[in-house]
Amino acid sequence: MKNQSKGLFSSKKAHLRFTLLLIVIFAIVSFLGSAGNYYNQLSDSLAKATHNVVILPHTKEIPFVLGLDLQGGTQLTYEANVKNIPEADRSSSLEGVRDVIERRVNSTGVAEPVIQVNRSMNGDYRVIVELAGIKDANEAIKMIGETPLLEFKETASVTPTVTGTSTAAINLQQAWKNTELTGKNLKSATLKFNPNDGTPEVALKFDEQGSTMFANITERNVNKQVAIVLDGYTISAPTVNEKISGGEAVISGKFTVAEAKLLVQRLNTGALPVPITLVAQQTVEASLGQQSIDNSMKAGIVGFLLVALFMILYYRLPGLISVICLGIYALAVLAIYKAMPWWMTVVFLSSLFALFIYVFKELKIFDGILSVGLFLIVFIFLGYYAHTAVTLTLAGITGFILSIGMAVDANILIFERMKEELRAGKPLDIAVDEGFKRAWPSIRDGNTTTILVCFVLMSFGTGLVKGFGATLFLGVAISMLSSIVITSSLMKVFVGKFLARHPWWLGVKKINN
Amino acid sequence: MINYQIIKYRKLWLIISGAMVILSIVALLTWGLRAGLDFTGGSLLEVKMAGGQPTGSDSIILRFQETSQEKHLAVVDALKKMEIAKGGMTEIRFESIGTSVGADLRSKSFSVMSLVLLIIILYISLAFNKVSKPVVSWKYGLIAVLALFHDIIITAGIFAILGHYFAVEVNTPFVVALLTVLGYSVHDTIIVFDRTRENLPKSHDSFAETVNHSLNQTFIRSINTTLTVLLSLLAVLVFGGTSVRDFVLALMVGVFCGAYSSLFVASPLLVYIEQWQRRK
Repeated sequence: MKNQSKGLFSSKKAHLRFTLLLIVIFAIVSFLGSAGNYYNQLSDSLAKATHNVVILPHTKEIPFVLGLDLQGGTQLTYEANVKNIPEADRSSSLEGVRDVIERRVNSTGVAEPVIQVNRSMNGDYRVIVELAGIKDANEAIKMIGETPLLEFKETASVTPTVTGTSTAAINLQQAWKNTELTGKNLKSATLKFNPNDGTPEVALKFDEQGSTMFANITERNVNKQVAIVLDGYTISAPTVNEKISGGEAVISGKFTVAEAKLLVQRLNTGALPVPITLVAQQTVEASLGQQSIDNSMKAGIVGFLLVALFMILYYRLPGLISVICLGIYALAVLAIYKAMPWWMTVVFLSSLFALFIYVFKELKIFDGILSVGLFLIVFIFLGYYAHTAVTLTLAGITGFILSIGMAVDANILIFERMKEELRAGKPLDIAVDEGFKRAWPSIRDGNTTTILVCFVLMSFGTGLVKGFGATLFLGVAISMLSSIVITSSLMKVFVGKFLARHPWWLGVKKINN
Repeated sequence: MINYQIIKYRKLWLIISGAMVILSIVALLTWGLRAGLDFTGGSLLEVKMAGGQPTGSDSIILRFQETSQEKHLAVVDALKKMEIAKGGMTEIRFESIGTSVGADLRSKSFSVMSLVLLIIILYISLAFNKVSKPVVSWKYGLIAVLALFHDIIITAGIFAILGHYFAVEVNTPFVVALLTVLGYSVHDTIIVFDRTRENLPKSHDSFAETVNHSLNQTFIRSINTTLTVLLSLLAVLVFGGTSVRDFVLALMVGVFCGAYSSLFVASPLLVYIEQWQRRK
């Protein structure tokens, strides 16, 4: 263990200077990423104070992405009724539903919808539509709900006794059964006028697959009725005379021109391939969200100060170092929540990675397959999240504040270990190194389980749990790296004659030399 | 150097924990957890009145069964016509959750919990595979999971009591809190076990003495870490607003139990297992 080569000793100072430089770079990038607006204010006032002598370039102010509970908005959950769709086609139909809803909402221009398709435990499909910033959800609900569902039905073996004509609602429960053809296969709809009597009609054109389906349906239903059903209402149930293979059909209900026009418009923005029903709805007003943000900010600052105070009072100089480390940690975590631009992502990750390799190599604690696997996964996820934004929810922010309390755990472990080594009579520099080395397996095993729990949370499905899992993961991952890497480098700065003579600063009675 | 005789009084700690667990189970069986909207389905409408409120707070929360969008609008209209809404009324929050969504969440929560427990046993068996004497590694995992059950059951039991007396409800955040407690508690237990793992090969004392020594070495770090976590949670409890209060409370109770169980449940159980093995 103590076979440190002598060549390294001469370059020890250069080594230390290099790691400190990396820490400073990491801290600056974290600050720019997390608090770009404060930096810009700072650079403005600096320019003013120095009469435009010192002009710092401005940085891009990146906003946080806030969840619905923080910025206000509406979440709608629909359940898709897929019982008529063969198992294999279900997920593709759901993709269809997703696209249609997206087009529908986009066409009104009210919001950028976030739409997810989820599967529940018993196999139901759910479509979750998030409309940020929308206070009045009614319009959106109406619009999504009114999206037409176009179905083609053929007679079941029992011939129904349908009297009267098309537009009347017919109970289709027993007499009709679904065919494979739905609005999903519709290519376009156009308004036409019947050449004989001039009444408006809607002409449908199917895509390639739809054309074949339609040909098959008409072929097996010659001299039988085929119903064209819109939102559960039969608009037309003509009798098929012959096989139609051109991929075109005409709905000739008793429309007025306005009705036909509306139908065309609605069919063209998309017909739902499966029926959906609204099963859950949540609306939060923006003011409630703002209040939550203010509360969380206050809680975060107070939490930070309490933890900082405790650490300094109990651990003295190492405590102070851990608070500096905690400050950098908090900035880094806030920065990674945001979608940082490429250059920041690269600097952020490479400075952290370089620090990590450097310090771990020196402490010789990079051991075994568990560590390698852990770091591989951690860095892949950090890379992903550095460039993409994490949607912050109230639970997520709570997760962040919780992680401030947990982040010092690694420091506490290290400092307690260091004190123990000092009490056992080891000289200062050895005790500091041993403290880090010996605390590492505990830090690794403890954090790995938390990270595994985070992955389970992230795959849980609902937005709230996912967001909490992601924020807790980032907190744990960054704290694990920063506490070892940053704290150990800063500790080394102070390891010297002064500390050896003043053990009070370390919270021990006596230090052997 | 501190030297508490924790292992010596192991019977006492386990009796205290056993009693807490039994009380919690009784509370859970007699009262059960008060399931909130997320699990039962239903509607919640929060409105804010411009004028002063008879209740003192400026918003009112209405709870009713799962309802359609039309009914929701009708309720808001009816409210607006009431006397108290004279000064104007705004809708702050509306939630309506179908019963099927609630049922799904319930079954999902259970499967996620089971998955987490399984992963934890596997990980500990893997991480401790070098220690096989005198207790094999998977038994460490088993004990850690027993300690987890202890934490989860007591936290849930306390919420059953809170639900019965103070109408505190259990929603999705509660499940998240329990999962986080799982992570935290096992983290804590592992750190104590880790010390035992490190001390065992070089120790000349008995197994029980080695475990007790390891407990003392990790005692201060356990207390301090729990303290910093509880401090940061306390800040959220006081300043975080009402919407996260129950969530934070569940976390605090769970973190406290987790810290207790890693010192006073997991290690004593380890000593019992070793004793029992020798007797065979």
